[in-house]
Amino acid sequence: MAETTPPAAPPAPPASEAPKPKPVVPFSPVILKHIHEPNAHTLEHYLARGGYETARKHVGETDPASLVAIVKDSGLRGRGGAGFPTGMKWGFLAKGTGKPAYLAVNGDESEPGTFKDRHILEKDPHQLLEGVILTCWAIQSNHAFIYLRGEFILGYQRLEAAVKEARAKGFIGEKSFGKDFPLKVTVVRGAGAYICGEETGMLSSIEGGRGYPKIKPPFPAVSGLFKCPTIVNNVETIANVTHIVKNGADWHKQWGTEKSPGYKIFCLAGAVKKPGVYEVPLGITMREFIDVYGGGMVEGRTLKAVIPGGLSAPLLTPEMVDKCTLDYESLAGLGSMLGSGGITVLHDGVDMMSAIYNTMRFYHHESCGQCTPCREGTGWLEKLAHKHHAGHAHAGDTDLLADVAKNMRGRTICVLADAAAMPMQSYLQLFRPEFDKRVAAPEYVEKGRTARDEITPAAKRESVTHGAPGVLDVGMGMDRV
Amino acid sequence: MTAEVKMVNMKIDGRDVTVPADWTVIRAAHKNDIDIPHYCYHPDLSIAGNCRICMVSVKGAPRPVVGCATPVAEGMEVTTTAAAEVEARKSVMEFLLINHPLDCPECDQAGECKLQDYSVDHGRDHGRFHEEKVRKSKSTMGPHVKYWGSRCILCTRCVRFTDEVSGTGELGIIYRGDRNEIATFPGRVLDNPLSMNTVDICPVGALVSSDFLFQSRVWNLHSNPSICPGCSLGCNTRVDLDAKDQIKRIVPRRNDAVNKEWMCDSGRLNFGYVHAGRLQKPKLGGADATWKEARRAALELLALNGGANTVALISAWNTSEAMAAILDLVAVESPAARIFGYGNPVVADQVFPGFTIYGDKNPNRAGMEQVLGIADPAASLKALASETGSIGTLLLVHNIPDFVITPEFKAVLDRSENVVLLDFASGELLRYGNVAVALPTLTSFEKAGTFVNNAGLAQSFEPVMEPATYGLSEAEIVEALKRDVGAATRAGAAA
Repeated sequence: MAETTPPAAPPAPPASEAPKPKPVVPFSPVILKHIHEPNAHTLEHYLARGGYETARKHVGETDPASLVAIVKDSGLRGRGGAGFPTGMKWGFLAKGTGKPAYLAVNGDESEPGTFKDRHILEKDPHQLLEGVILTCWAIQSNHAFIYLRGEFILGYQRLEAAVKEARAKGFIGEKSFGKDFPLKVTVVRGAGAYICGEETGMLSSIEGGRGYPKIKPPFPAVSGLFKCPTIVNNVETIANVTHIVKNGADWHKQWGTEKSPGYKIFCLAGAVKKPGVYEVPLGITMREFIDVYGGGMVEGRTLKAVIPGGLSAPLLTPEMVDKCTLDYESLAGLGSMLGSGGITVLHDGVDMMSAIYNTMRFYHHESCGQCTPCREGTGWLEKLAHKHHAGHAHAGDTDLLADVAKNMRGRTICVLADAAAMPMQSYLQLFRPEFDKRVAAPEYVEKGRTARDEITPAAKRESVTHGAPGVLDVGMGMDRV
Repeated sequence: MTAEVKMVNMKIDGRDVTVPADWTVIRAAHKNDIDIPHYCYHPDLSIAGNCRICMVSVKGAPRPVVGCATPVAEGMEVTTTAAAEVEARKSVMEFLLINHPLDCPECDQAGECKLQDYSVDHGRDHGRFHEEKVRKSKSTMGPHVKYWGSRCILCTRCVRFTDEVSGTGELGIIYRGDRNEIATFPGRVLDNPLSMNTVDICPVGALVSSDFLFQSRVWNLHSNPSICPGCSLGCNTRVDLDAKDQIKRIVPRRNDAVNKEWMCDSGRLNFGYVHAGRLQKPKLGGADATWKEARRAALELLALNGGANTVALISAWNTSEAMAAILDLVAVESPAARIFGYGNPVVADQVFPGFTIYGDKNPNRAGMEQVLGIADPAASLKALASETGSIGTLLLVHNIPDFVITPEFKAVLDRSENVVLLDFASGELLRYGNVAVALPTLTSFEKAGTFVNNAGLAQSFEPVMEPATYGLSEAEIVEALKRDVGAATRAGAAA
């Protein structure tokens, strides 16, 4: 949704961008500041560092609309993956429906390569809870659901304990902070499905149903949980709210770029010396992130590709990595996405067929099976990827992969089909020769026709040469709709 | 109804159409005879939007959208045949078939399968899938429904039916992704009285009727419309018969004013009486007789004492035409006769969220009220039963299959010296010693007629098949009897 404007901006006004104090302000972690301290998850620890003061100050006192305005003004974008401006989303909440409004906090964190929310849940759950309280006050919701990935056992225990403590202190309950603001917080555990991290799939799961995503529109802000207006936000987004409300929108905007203000938690995995969770200002270069924060590539290895925003994000080659900064618009410009901030670095020894097969196996396993293209397509992609991985692909299978991936794009209720097709298209675009190397058998020919007969127009068929530019009749990257 | 419905003007395939503002694109198109293929969409169920075959292009939208979940809007321009949606449908069709077993030669649905139809209309000309298919289980869902998992396209019509129309909620989806299967919840059986509707709405051969299974290829059947006589609702039906005019199955026919597209299982399955246990020929004193002999005997019995001690007892299973014919006969032959009605006992209605099976198991009680002026057949029979003294001749027009003789009914029979029975079945009634004459009639499948349903809607029907016996309709019998009377009168006058 925010992809429409960036292409116009960068070339013309470099001058106006220059005065913006980008990396000048020194940054130290905000959300992850205390996670290394023992007992950071306890109420005692949280109160000792000024916890719940912001909520106490605002709940029942400040005009909710002004809180929404602060968040809108801060430019905070959703940290779950889509990067939708949070304040704007809150503004869409349907009012005067006569139904209760709900806040649903997405802590499913199922995107492979992403492990940031887990740290907040396990090591600083009160920080999240304070954000929940402030958000509920801002959107005037009396019931918040926090949905946790089923595998987060410690996170669940800590969050449940935190909710109990907060309830005992009267921070949440019939009268939050003694004000006339009843607030209930329910912690819900998932059962281990990737699809329940999709916002409407999560709502179906909270409702007690099968975690099938729902058709949009209506969007959750109009008709979400139990058909009531619902705001769905990621754990990290909500954790940000306290700090933004406390320090103000301008404080948040002093880091990051114009379109991606603030800081974000990134998860670094793969062939780097220091993989881990890092909170950095948005807009730093990918090279800096890998080389400085990640300590560079592991000994004796060079960078082959980077998966920048969770497994579904299209790959970046080393040349693209050089141009890449960690913000929403830079990655969108490179045909990929910032996504959930799960960065995986692949080294030169990685067999891309192994990587793509593993990726496809994941999406096949996790497709909920609701929509035809995804249910059938993810399995087909996995089978074809497996043939390439095992080295017994037939000629034509690679083109078929491209066509199947193309046919899955944009044709389903949620974006899981796209999430599976995007990496496949990206691998094919960037590493086509590796696919072709695994083709071991001649093309299937039935009744004089091959699978490719309908893929490529007859006129073009003569000129098909694997790997040659411009031959693939497949749109690549984000601009393809 | 007169509440103003907001209408919007839009274009579909260049045609200007005006539809209510709360409709979806697919509904607007179907209303205007523009076909948009669909599997999961059903007009009487909620929108699932999962099959993705109903892709259409909306001007201004970046890519094709599903017609079933896209609301109409003022000035909207929709195309259903442009390259983008044609290509999208083609790919969806391909996805639907890659794991499908393609076992049409042994599939009951073949010939009326949406996969076959849309594959021809919208699919590719050859497959590109050379991998191993996903295999799924086969199961017996309930007494009337079996499930072939591999054929299933997971459109969830059946799940939504049990959730929304029958309200029984036996069905759900188990597993995930391309291993998805429809299954009954643990400990549940798909045994609600509407279960076979799931077979009808299944667009493929996944849910099949155990009663029709392997009975016939559907292209060897011929179909005729009819009205179900099972209860006072009068579901509109389509009767499928084989080349020998044997009824193979009965399925509902859409009529939004009566049964929408639903029907109860017992209505579908209750056709055995048409082909078995029939009264083949007229009977006279228990022995086969010719029509002429039987008619003569009947006339004599009816005309005894000018019909002073004659009672016509007519069931609410008779068509309005049959009732009128009997009235006509009585007026001519036994003007002093009295007329009573009876019917199947009324039990409680079975009410489901989207359908009601009425407890009044008589198809034409309302018609009886119109023609005979008897509003309550049970009370009418009770009145007759409470009388004492013998009945000289009882003209019993029965035509109820599987009738259970009640004590009241038995009392009336016992009091009757002679019974003239009009019935299609050679059943329990015939064994009563006082049945003097039995004239074979026809079932509602073999004759034309009218049933008036409980909402006062008169529904006429035509025969769906040739009569299976030497029986005649009541009107034909009465006509012949009147002819006989005329002949006798003429003969008397001549003498």
